[in-house]
Amino acid sequence: MVKILDKLLAHSGKLTKARQNYDWIKEELLGLEERINTKKQVELDRFVVRANKQLAKLGYTIDKSEYVNALIEEKLQRFDVKNYMNHRALNHGDAKAIFKAIKAGNDWQSILPGHNEKYKKLIEKRANYASKVNELSNNSTVEKVDSSAYDRLKNQLLAEYEAFKATVDKKYEGIFQKEKARLENKLTKAEEKINLIKSKVKVEKTLEPDVLLEVKNLKMYFGGLKAVDDLSFNVKKGEIFGLIGPNGAGKTTVFNCITRFYDATGGDMYFENKYGEVVNMRDFKVHDVLLQGISRTFQNIELVKEVSVLENLLVAATRTYRSGFAVHALGLPSLKKEEKMLRQKAMRILKFMQIEQYAGWIAMGLPYGILKKVEIARALMADANLIIMDEPAAGLNDVETIELTEIIRKIRDTFGVTILLVEHDMKLVMSVCDNICAISFGQLLAIGTPEEIQSNKAVQEAYLGVEEDE
Amino acid sequence: MNKRLSEKYTLLGSNPKTKNNLLEGVKSFAKSPSIHFLLFGLIIVLIAYLAVEKTFPNIIPYSWASALSVTMAYSVASIGFCLLMGYSGLASLGTGGFIGIGTYAVYYIINVSGLSLWLAILVAIAVAIIIGAIVGFISLRIEGIYLVILTLGLSEILRNLYVVIEDSIKIKNFEFVGFLFKRQHAIYIVMGLLVIVMIITHNIINSPTGRAMLAMKNSTAAAQAMGISLIKYRLLAFIICTVYAALSGVLLMVTLRSARASEGTGFYALITSLNILAAVIIGGYKSIWGAIFGTFVLYGLKTTILSNIDFLSDELMVFISGILVIVIVMFYPGGLAQLIGGLKYKIKKFALKLREAKYGKDLG
Repeated sequence: MVKILDKLLAHSGKLTKARQNYDWIKEELLGLEERINTKKQVELDRFVVRANKQLAKLGYTIDKSEYVNALIEEKLQRFDVKNYMNHRALNHGDAKAIFKAIKAGNDWQSILPGHNEKYKKLIEKRANYASKVNELSNNSTVEKVDSSAYDRLKNQLLAEYEAFKATVDKKYEGIFQKEKARLENKLTKAEEKINLIKSKVKVEKTLEPDVLLEVKNLKMYFGGLKAVDDLSFNVKKGEIFGLIGPNGAGKTTVFNCITRFYDATGGDMYFENKYGEVVNMRDFKVHDVLLQGISRTFQNIELVKEVSVLENLLVAATRTYRSGFAVHALGLPSLKKEEKMLRQKAMRILKFMQIEQYAGWIAMGLPYGILKKVEIARALMADANLIIMDEPAAGLNDVETIELTEIIRKIRDTFGVTILLVEHDMKLVMSVCDNICAISFGQLLAIGTPEEIQSNKAVQEAYLGVEEDE
Repeated sequence: MNKRLSEKYTLLGSNPKTKNNLLEGVKSFAKSPSIHFLLFGLIIVLIAYLAVEKTFPNIIPYSWASALSVTMAYSVASIGFCLLMGYSGLASLGTGGFIGIGTYAVYYIINVSGLSLWLAILVAIAVAIIIGAIVGFISLRIEGIYLVILTLGLSEILRNLYVVIEDSIKIKNFEFVGFLFKRQHAIYIVMGLLVIVMIITHNIINSPTGRAMLAMKNSTAAAQAMGISLIKYRLLAFIICTVYAALSGVLLMVTLRSARASEGTGFYALITSLNILAAVIIGGYKSIWGAIFGTFVLYGLKTTILSNIDFLSDELMVFISGILVIVIVMFYPGGLAQLIGGLKYKIKKFALKLREAKYGKDLG
């Protein structure tokens, strides 16, 4: 009776809610500085606009060469915008990205891989145009305006601006500290609450200190077929663990058992979830696995095609939202606040994956390599501590595979997550994994470092032998 | 001097964009879809007002008011179906039966009990939630064509239930928010509710709930791995669809004032469900405007714009709508919404060509 009550308490809504609350405050704390900075910038911008209006009343003073240079720059910019925005060779997304880069003053040519071939003609045209504009500007004359009053005002305004900036900085620094202290206070309170709830729950099972996932005697039978038979292995914290085996060895079945897509016939999977307690994954439903801290990617890309990359990341954060259906249907401001916060987080992750320029693009038309990265980014969105990757290198070329290797390592180092991957690409597995588990026909062949696996006779017979026959 | 250039020679480089600009605020306000929905409602109400009140005789025929009212009432069901099919990837042929919930709620609350329309709407929603939840639970076990057949069966059961309860129902003029609503005034209630439904649907589509539904439609496995519970969202989708259908029933009853359950072409018959399905396919199964437009093509076109063409009989309209569905499924899977979107793009391209012809390709 007590046991049942304990179990009920452990996974009851109360604890989930307290944790959601905790995660949310943490998220708020993370994005605080960025938010404060944008607010500060708005205030500073307002001052600049006001000052500019005052200056405009007096007119402008311009050196001839300065003016001509600016004229050329502007004409070229207009040319760029018009031609690259509307050119037929460009699809809408490319044009948009280029347009943005030009507006921001960045080098737009570096955005698009392979642009040189595709837009060669355009670039030639641009060069022609540049020379034309240069000729034109050589003939133009601009008088210099007397500007003592203007300069005086400008200097005065600049001094004012500096003073204003100092006060604003001070003000927002104060706000930042205050807000930070408030959130930290809230955070400790939330933590206390979680601890209070947790203290009522007895811990039944503990893992060895550095083990994250313990798969114990896992069995999965489909009728008479033993897809996984008595498989046991441990995944340590912070390592990259590979699961290999010939086709039909049951790798994906193991994955699906851990992520609860299949209900295992027998055996247990103990996992130290992201809150630091040991749980048996068999107690959870498929859609609750993510909340415990296991997120996964798929062999075939399973993104939402119709929405943008950023919104795809937000799909993974569906359970992070605290607002309910009524708030969503009425479009209340509290939802907008949450949305803003999570968009910030998604942008952080996209920046980490170096695909932030694709944030607003619809997922459907993007290249395969980018979509793979988006899927990994989506897996990162849920703050998981174990990421399961199902054949991440499938369909990638050599260059992209090497890039993927680096990305996997980088993810492990930056986020401190453990990565479990199933892969056919032996090069990738041998180069990236710390430990490898080889299975065949659902049974364990060997566990060890890549070198040990490579020299293991059983593995060679089962796995590499098959490849030689082909 | 060039105005754009002048911005460069100011205090700190370029002129920063500020958000507190009044014009910008008005612009963004005018761009928000809720305002578009409201404007749409006002325009339809204005057309109906001109038709009913005859302030300017012969501008708009009298028949338009009721035709628009019926179309817009069916549109509510279409929007619900849009959410179910386009966003959740589920299908149903039970719309006809669900519409009956609304009609009977209105009949029993207003005519028999003599209470207000508000209560009728609330009762319709409550009953629809229960029935939607039942179908939603079933949808967890059954998918695709089997679900369609199941909802079709459920709809027929409901229809026969209506025949047994009270075959022919009628309501008289009733009082609502202090006015006596006659038949020709129904459009005001219809448009009011439709605009609310449009705004709510738009909010849902663009919220985490809408995204979760889309994820579920694209791949149930990926959705579940992302923490999306299939039970919750399938249930929600069916409940929304059923509630909208019931509301549509309320509005139809308010507009037409009578219904016969045993009639083969009545509200509750299979033909209604099929028409709503066709309307959503014609209009575009992922667009609110598309759903309304498709419904107008099926229900309103003949009685309004094409009413002066003599040889267009009812049978011919069915024929035409059938051909329309075939053509659209073959060439424009996204429906009329896609067609219009494509047209916009083509017009833009054409304008660019004109500009190129005028100014030359380089120095535009």
